[in-house]
Amino acid sequence: MAVLKTLWKYGFAILAVFILTGMAWLFKDQLSIQVIALLYLLPVVISARLWGLGPGILAAICAFLTLNYFFIPPLYTLSVHKTQDLLSLIIFLINAVVISQLLGQAQDSLLEAKQREGEATRLYELSTALTGLIDNHLIAQVLAEEIQETFCANRIDIVLKSAASGEGSSLTRPEQALTLVTGKPNLTLPMQTARGELGLIRLWRQDTPLSAQELRLLNIFANQGALAIERIGLTQAENRARVLEESDRLKSSLLSSVSHELRTPLATIKASISSLRSGAVEWNTDARQDLLTAIEEETDHLNQLVGNILDMSRIETGALNPQRRWNSLAEIVHEVLKRMGSSMHSHRIAIEIPSDLPLVPVDYLQLQQVFTNLLSNSAKYAPPGTLIQVKACIESQEMVLVEVSNEGPAVPEEHLEQIFEKFHRVTAADKVTGTGLGLSICKGIVEAHGGRIWAENAPGLFIFKFTLPMKWNGMLPRLPEET
Amino acid sequence: MNPQPHILVIDDEPQILRALRTILQAKQFRVTVASRGEEGLNLAATQLPDLIILDLSLPDMDGVVVCERLREWTQVPIIILSVREGEKDKVTALDKGADDYLTKPFGIEELLARIRVALKHSALAKGSTQPIISAGPISIDLVRHIVTRDGDEIKLTGTEFKLLAYLAANAGRVLTHQAILTHVWGSIDADHVEYLRVYMGQLRKKLEGNPEEPHFLLTEPGIGYRLLTND
Repeated sequence: MAVLKTLWKYGFAILAVFILTGMAWLFKDQLSIQVIALLYLLPVVISARLWGLGPGILAAICAFLTLNYFFIPPLYTLSVHKTQDLLSLIIFLINAVVISQLLGQAQDSLLEAKQREGEATRLYELSTALTGLIDNHLIAQVLAEEIQETFCANRIDIVLKSAASGEGSSLTRPEQALTLVTGKPNLTLPMQTARGELGLIRLWRQDTPLSAQELRLLNIFANQGALAIERIGLTQAENRARVLEESDRLKSSLLSSVSHELRTPLATIKASISSLRSGAVEWNTDARQDLLTAIEEETDHLNQLVGNILDMSRIETGALNPQRRWNSLAEIVHEVLKRMGSSMHSHRIAIEIPSDLPLVPVDYLQLQQVFTNLLSNSAKYAPPGTLIQVKACIESQEMVLVEVSNEGPAVPEEHLEQIFEKFHRVTAADKVTGTGLGLSICKGIVEAHGGRIWAENAPGLFIFKFTLPMKWNGMLPRLPEET
Repeated sequence: MNPQPHILVIDDEPQILRALRTILQAKQFRVTVASRGEEGLNLAATQLPDLIILDLSLPDMDGVVVCERLREWTQVPIIILSVREGEKDKVTALDKGADDYLTKPFGIEELLARIRVALKHSALAKGSTQPIISAGPISIDLVRHIVTRDGDEIKLTGTEFKLLAYLAANAGRVLTHQAILTHVWGSIDADHVEYLRVYMGQLRKKLEGNPEEPHFLLTEPGIGYRLLTND
């Protein structure tokens, strides 16, 4: 294509000379040789201006020959008799060549400037497209598309090397070229940074080889791509470091909290068992029962603690995938109360869940955990004998609202949000038992289900509220037809 | 029933083995213990126990595999005893042929109750199926399709009866959602746990004294359902 385009330019230059020759021929009687010679400068100037140096010089030579042939006596020969004519012809040729050269150079440098501008724009586009990308694969995709568009390549492969294994993923643009364009690539370019080779660009362009300029531009593209990939690597490393730091902090506060929490029930168990075993005291039946109950309750407490810690680590690592099923909230709440058994006997419990409340798509065990934690938290802070209520209702077309309220003390407004943070306590740690994980686990679970959890003070009440979506993949539960 | 049922316990924790041996022997069971899967399989084949208590985490193989290998030749009741509490583990074990599943730590009363149910169920399975099954005030006649509560007949729809009959025929055993749905609605609807919730709700309303706190039609959280019958 490019060769054909160049040929056309030369063709146009010759054509311009012939057109002028034709017109000058028509008026040759009215015009002197000098004027015709001046006229002949026109196609030369036009060719040089429009099509560059080469066509300009070609036009100058053609003009020189046709002027000589058609207008300088003896006519229709290329020979010249008068010295004066010879001189004006030579001067014409020199003029024409110099003018076309000057114009052509200006033209060429304009073209070059335009090309540079184009490159700069391309590069700008590329770097804009690459900014903000946070995925190696996306970067490779953008890079491949930009290269393909800029260099009109038949096929671009970008191979990303993963740091671990050396060989990495490969991406081809356009996709169909994977089978259409085969064979050895015309060019292979590494994507190199200070950290080493991050990948390769393979380019197939079968019709014309890359010019030096294009090669330079492609190198810059490759560098840009490499830098973008490196940036991602650095960001990821930084994130990892931050996560590690955070989890380190978590672990140490967990350890201090847990060791205290685990020892308390262990102390009770140990004391009770050693009392029962020692032959020093004769225990009556009631005392024996008390000690045994204490052991059993503390064992359950320990088990719950371990469960909480496990849940927390699952939430931390994002491994909390709710196994959604259509479940009845009423059933879950009743099951939880049954399981919690004696630990809730200190309070009065009221459950107000309408029987026509639709089934909700939740993980049964995780929701059990939420209710267990909210209820045991309520029982812990509300005075014994007071009422704990569980309510549920439809909040909107999309959400169900659940409330767990107790008659415990109000929590200062500034703590209302923070109580769902890990290890946050309103009261000093040594005054209340618990790992400080319960509410943050509730938050983790509710949010994993696509809901929201918060707490409110109301006159005489402290209320936990959370929402749960009613739809699962945009659907309500499908109910069977009676057979 | 054999006056001294023989129980094989397969678990790799010596503390648990010691505790279970002591407790079960005190309850008049004959107890054999194994701490590895292969050893357990051999003992099961040579001693033909009446019931197997199986841990899922064994040093040489997964408990689920042991369960599968046992089911190749025997219908001996298997109760899984494991620290794994995920729904998936439970459902897998039950689908591979286990009869029941208990999470560690467990209450010994709970374990003994499950053992009694399992032994009774296997004794029934050996004889002909009992045509009438009773659970508290509820009585289910599988042959004549009649359900009564305190002697009064309760009208059930076709699906409700099918569901109840399946639970009754497997009384005491944990049935997974999948198993019940496949049996009652067919394999195409095996994912629609919501059907079960609705129908179990209806059954409880008709049969239980307080449908909110069922005594016989029990939910196994995240796993399935179980009909508790008279011991």
